[in-house]
Amino acid sequence: MVKAIDNRWWLAAAVAGFAALPWGLGIYHQHVLIVSLFYVMMTASWNLLAGYTGQVSFGHAAFAGIGAYASGILATKVGLNPWLGVGAGTLAAAVFGFLLGVLCLKMGGIYLSLTTLGFSEILHIIINNEYEITRGTMGLQVPGLIAEYSKLAYFYIFLAGAIITLAVVHRLIHANIGLNFRAVQNDERAAAALGVDVVRVRVLAFTVSSALAGMAGALYGHYLLLITPQIPSLDQQFLVLSMTVIGGLGSFAGPVIGAFGLEILSEYIRAYGEYHVLAFGLVALIVARFAPRGLVGVWKQFMDRRRPAA
Amino acid sequence: MNKKGFVGVIVLALVGLMLAVGPALGADPVKIGVVGPRTGDAAATGKAFEEGIQLATAWVNAKGGVLGRPLEVVFEDTAGAPDKAASGFERLVTRDKVAMVLGESHSSSALAEIEVANRLKIPFVVVEAWADPITAKNYRYVFRAGPSNSGVVNETIAKWVQASGFKKAYIVAENSDWGLGIAQLTEAALKKAAIPYEQLVTERKSQDHYTELTKIKQFGPDVVLAYVYGTGLHYFVAQAGEVGLTPKAVILDGAGPPSLWPDYWTNVGDYGNLECFVSSMHEKVELTPLAKEFRENYVKAFGKAPTDYKSRSIYDAVLIAADAINRAGSLGAENLVTALEKTDLLTTRGKAKFGMEKGGPEYHQWMPPMLVIQWQDKAQTVLYPPEAATGQLKR
Repeated sequence: MVKAIDNRWWLAAAVAGFAALPWGLGIYHQHVLIVSLFYVMMTASWNLLAGYTGQVSFGHAAFAGIGAYASGILATKVGLNPWLGVGAGTLAAAVFGFLLGVLCLKMGGIYLSLTTLGFSEILHIIINNEYEITRGTMGLQVPGLIAEYSKLAYFYIFLAGAIITLAVVHRLIHANIGLNFRAVQNDERAAAALGVDVVRVRVLAFTVSSALAGMAGALYGHYLLLITPQIPSLDQQFLVLSMTVIGGLGSFAGPVIGAFGLEILSEYIRAYGEYHVLAFGLVALIVARFAPRGLVGVWKQFMDRRRPAA
Repeated sequence: MNKKGFVGVIVLALVGLMLAVGPALGADPVKIGVVGPRTGDAAATGKAFEEGIQLATAWVNAKGGVLGRPLEVVFEDTAGAPDKAASGFERLVTRDKVAMVLGESHSSSALAEIEVANRLKIPFVVVEAWADPITAKNYRYVFRAGPSNSGVVNETIAKWVQASGFKKAYIVAENSDWGLGIAQLTEAALKKAAIPYEQLVTERKSQDHYTELTKIKQFGPDVVLAYVYGTGLHYFVAQAGEVGLTPKAVILDGAGPPSLWPDYWTNVGDYGNLECFVSSMHEKVELTPLAKEFRENYVKAFGKAPTDYKSRSIYDAVLIAADAINRAGSLGAENLVTALEKTDLLTTRGKAKFGMEKGGPEYHQWMPPMLVIQWQDKAQTVLYPPEAATGQLKR
């Protein structure tokens, strides 16, 4: 009990410290923090699916795209308030996630990965070709979430989004359903034998994960004021995957560390164009092979070694 | 999440940010930014920009720099993608602290960048992005020292089509702001000139035009106005030759540079002969003494003659920027805008002077003269305007 209260104080202090960080920073650094928070939302929600239920989806960036385009199109064509648009984008991503989940989650394994990869490509083709609605590669200019553009305000919006995402993930993995997630990940036959509805668990994780990606994408589109097919691209998907794997797949802190670490690093190696995604992918492969628990796992191992044997 | 995890995140973020602060400090030279595609389908434009920047900064610094300090250009790659362009533009202003930004050769990217320029109140001189709305939005901080769609269509392409006596035209436009915009203006001009036409929209990155070319061939045009940028144009020209559309019909590359890129002849082979393109540069048409100087300096620096006219466009833009900074006497955005509005500078393409009439694309626009050139046995022949012509159209 005392330890739980202690942890909460640490948590509140860390969040308060982080919330104070952008004060005194220039707008470039505020921008880097905002983009990092977007990736926290993306990695944490993808980790819920891949890290906690073992379902490797390549459609996560596509769901962010659905959220972004749904919100952007409603704002520009119908004149819907962007905040309501974010809600609609989140809902749209959840609905697509649910439908795709029902359709393909019985398959699992490599088939799920292939189906989501196909879904991602189909969405990309639709966005590029239906340029009269989406403006394709030209980009859809959308209104911002606030009347007076302010990086500081967007930082707090994204911080709130990241906290909501992390709170949802935390709540789910620490509830009974979280045990079911783990059970399905470890051995789905054993889980089914113990009465766990494997497909239901997978669909739930897929839907929640998609909805959170949709929210992240919608917020990101209204922050950039421009939505392009880059948001639902495979580049984006592999960046999210790399961040999660390098940070620590299946751990709560791993995706957060991966998102901040790689986003800051990518600002330095941007001059190499798209090669930074390739470099991250290679590092992710090496990490997956030699340190499957990512940086968090390496850190834990290091701390365990330093601890004196009982 | 445990406390160690969160503390780790904060420490990582702080360390990263402290490291990121480094490059922005201690700026002695006056920095201006350039945006353009260094990677992607139009990477050759980035190369042309780099060449022009090298020559222009050397020229400016040899004459004392700006405000008594050396001029430095920071180039940000946009890859021809609007999202990368907007964030790259913002990075130049917020991280590199540039006084103004120049460049761009994709209209969709420029349309995303002008919003950032307007929000950050930073002067932006667009060089080779032609869509009318770039200046038609009448943003105070946005200028264009280069062609506009309406200028190119109304002053050059439509007049050349009429002067050449073409009877039927086909418009092929890529699905970009430039392609769709210039196609719409061409349509209006052809309608006004009572020239029958048809048109289609093609995917910007398409590599397969056979179906479209079959449709075009059925219509039987004698001129095809191809508004396709990048290596996509090479595919179009080569496949038009394969299906027998050319040489019966003449293709006009409505952008220009793709027909001048080093891999043009490799990609299109003999089908590239008799193709026409628009350009603002030709070795026998030097409008000012500075154009001659540019050519000489280019040959000296790179050991070859300049081909892609965009190297000269960015060269002019750097000179315009340096001139404005010197006249403004400071790097304040408002002073720079006022100085740019009063620009009256002889460049390689004539006297640069920005329009001040609000309400249309002429605001903050300087339109340099454009030429229509034809490849004749791998040599360039100027066809239009008549006063600059070095030969006749061959078919």
